[in-house]
Amino acid sequence: MYIIIQSVITGILLGGLYAVIGVGMSLVFGIMRLTNIAHGDLMILASYFTMLFAMEIVGNVFLALLITIVLMLILSFLIQTFLVNRVIDKGPEPSLLVMFGVSIIIRNALILIFGANNRTIPNPLSTTNILNSPNISISGGYLVNFIVGVAVVLVLMFIIQKTYFGMSIRATASNRMGAELLGVNTKRIFAYTLCLAVATASIAGLLIGQTFVFYPSTGPQYLITAFGVVVIGGMGSLGGTLVGGILLGLVQLLSAHFFGTGWQTIAGYVFMLVILTIRPQGIFAKARR
Amino acid sequence: MKFNKPIKVAISVLILIVLLLMPKWGSDRFINIFILIFLYMSMGQMWNLLAGYAGLVSLGQQMFIGIGGYTVAVVCQSYNLPLWVGLIVAPFVCTLCALIISLPIFKMSGDFFTIGSWIVAEAMLLFFTNWSFVKYGFGFTISAGRVLTLTHRYIMALILGIGSVLVVYIALRTKFGLGIMAMRDNEGVSKVRGVKIYRTKLNCFLISAFITGLAGGAMHLFDGYIQPYAAFSIDWTVTMVFMVIIGGIGTIEGPILGAFIYVFLRQYLLNFPGVSMLIFGAIALIIILLAPKGIVGLLQDRTGFELFSVRRSIKAPKLPDKPESASQNT
Repeated sequence: MYIIIQSVITGILLGGLYAVIGVGMSLVFGIMRLTNIAHGDLMILASYFTMLFAMEIVGNVFLALLITIVLMLILSFLIQTFLVNRVIDKGPEPSLLVMFGVSIIIRNALILIFGANNRTIPNPLSTTNILNSPNISISGGYLVNFIVGVAVVLVLMFIIQKTYFGMSIRATASNRMGAELLGVNTKRIFAYTLCLAVATASIAGLLIGQTFVFYPSTGPQYLITAFGVVVIGGMGSLGGTLVGGILLGLVQLLSAHFFGTGWQTIAGYVFMLVILTIRPQGIFAKARR
Repeated sequence: MKFNKPIKVAISVLILIVLLLMPKWGSDRFINIFILIFLYMSMGQMWNLLAGYAGLVSLGQQMFIGIGGYTVAVVCQSYNLPLWVGLIVAPFVCTLCALIISLPIFKMSGDFFTIGSWIVAEAMLLFFTNWSFVKYGFGFTISAGRVLTLTHRYIMALILGIGSVLVVYIALRTKFGLGIMAMRDNEGVSKVRGVKIYRTKLNCFLISAFITGLAGGAMHLFDGYIQPYAAFSIDWTVTMVFMVIIGGIGTIEGPILGAFIYVFLRQYLLNFPGVSMLIFGAIALIIILLAPKGIVGLLQDRTGFELFSVRRSIKAPKLPDKPESASQNT
C-alpha cells in the first residue's frame, strides 16, 4: 500500500518535470502550428551546455543556466530567422523536415564533440530526502523539479495572458493575417515564441541533467515525452501541460510498480497512443477541428 | 529535351540489362555497393510513396526494418527453417503489424501522424528490448545468410530495388494512384469526388510496410546479425528522408538518385567517422531550403525530362477551364 502511495507521489513530482519538458513544445504548437521535432535535442543540447559551464567554466549551476539560456536564445533566434521562417508559409511538412534536419545535426554534433558516453550534472539535492520516513520518502531533487515545473508554467501563463507581448502572441495565434494587419510582425513573434520555448527547454535541460543521465541520443526520448505531455494535456494549452505531465508521470510510475520497471516507458507511450486515438485534441482542450 | 516513349523504354531496358549482367563484369566492392544502393532504393521509394504521394510523413518506418529483420532472424534461427521461408514470412508479418498499427495511428492526421508513428516505433524498440523470446537487447546472429554468394545477394537486392520502383510506378498509374495524388493535392475535394481516403492511405501504408519489411529482412540477413537498438534506430528513417529529399520528393526518380548519392557519399564519408550523419543532415537541410523539390524536381522544372512519368498526357491540345475528367472515375 505504501509502495503505491510512494509511486503516486513520485509520479506527481515527476509530472512537474515533464511539464517543463512539454511546455515549450505546447507553446510552439499553439502559436506557430509547428511541431518542433527538434525540441528534445535542443533540450539535451542545453543539458550539455549547462554541464560544460557548471563543471568546467563558471562552477555555478545558476550562472551556467543563465549563460546557457542566452546561448540557446541566440541559437533559436538564428534557427527561426534563417531556417523556419523561410519555409513556414509552405505548409507543415517543410518546416517539420527542417526541424528534423536541425535535430539530426544537433544530435550528431553532440556525439562528435562530447562522445556517446552517459553524462550527468551533479546535484547535491538528488541524494537528500526532504521527507524520510520508513514507508515514504520524497527526494529533494524531484521536489525541486516539481516546484520549478509549476513555476515555469505559471510564469509562462502570466506572460501569455497578462502582458502586452503576450497579447500580440495570442493575436498571432488566433489570426495571423489579422495580427499582421494590426501591425504585429508575426514572423518576429514566431521567433520570440521559439525563444520562449527554448528558454523553457534550457531549464528542462538542466533539470534532466540533474535528475537522469543523458547522452546525445536521448533527445528523441524527451521529444516523445514532451509530445505525450502536450497530447495528453491538449495542444497549445499551457495549464494542460501541467496536468498532462502529472498524468504521464503517474502512468509511468504506477505501471513500473505493477509490471516492472522495464515496461515503464512503454506504458507511457501506449497511454499517449490511446489518448491520441480517442481524443487527439487532448483530454482538456476544447475540440478545435 | 523531350523523349518519346519508345526511347524511354529502350533506355530503361538497356539500364536493366547492364544491371542484370553486373555480376559478370563488376568487382566485388562495386557489387557490394550496388547491393546497398538497391536495398536503400526500395526503402526510400516506400518512404516517398508515403510522404511524397500519400501525404503521410512517417518517422516510424524503422519499425518495419526491425520487424522484418527480426522475423527473418526468428524464422531462420529459432525455428531453423530455410531462409526463403523467412524472407516470405517477413513482409507479411510487417503488413499484419502495419494493419494493426493503422487502427490507432490513422486516427491522427498531419504532424500528429508523424510523431505518432515515431512513438509506435520507439515503443516497438522498447518492447523488443524487454522481450525474452528475442533475447532482449542482445540480438541474434543470423547464420542462414552465410550460404548466399555475392551474386545471389546482388540478384535479390536487384529484384527488391527494381521491384519497388515497379510497384510504385504501377500503383501510381492505376486508378488507385490517381486517388493517391488527388488526395495529396486536396484531401477535401478528392473525398467529395469519391476517393476513399482511409482505404487509399491504408493501402499505401501496407505496401510500404510490405516492401520496407522485406528490405529490412534482406539487410539483416546479409549482415548476419540483428540487435534491437540498431534495427529500430531512427537512423533508418533519417536515411530514407535524406534520400527522398535530396533526390526529389514526390518523384519516382528521386529516391533512385537519392540512393546512389547516399551510398556513394556514405562510402566516401567512412574515412571521416562520426561526421557522416551530420553532413547528411546539413545537406538535407540545405536542399529543403534551396530546392524543395530536390535534384530531380529541379531538373524536371528546367528540362521537362521524366523517365518514369506517372502523369497522364491529355490528347486534346487545349482544354477549357474545368477540372480534369480523370478524377471523376476514382
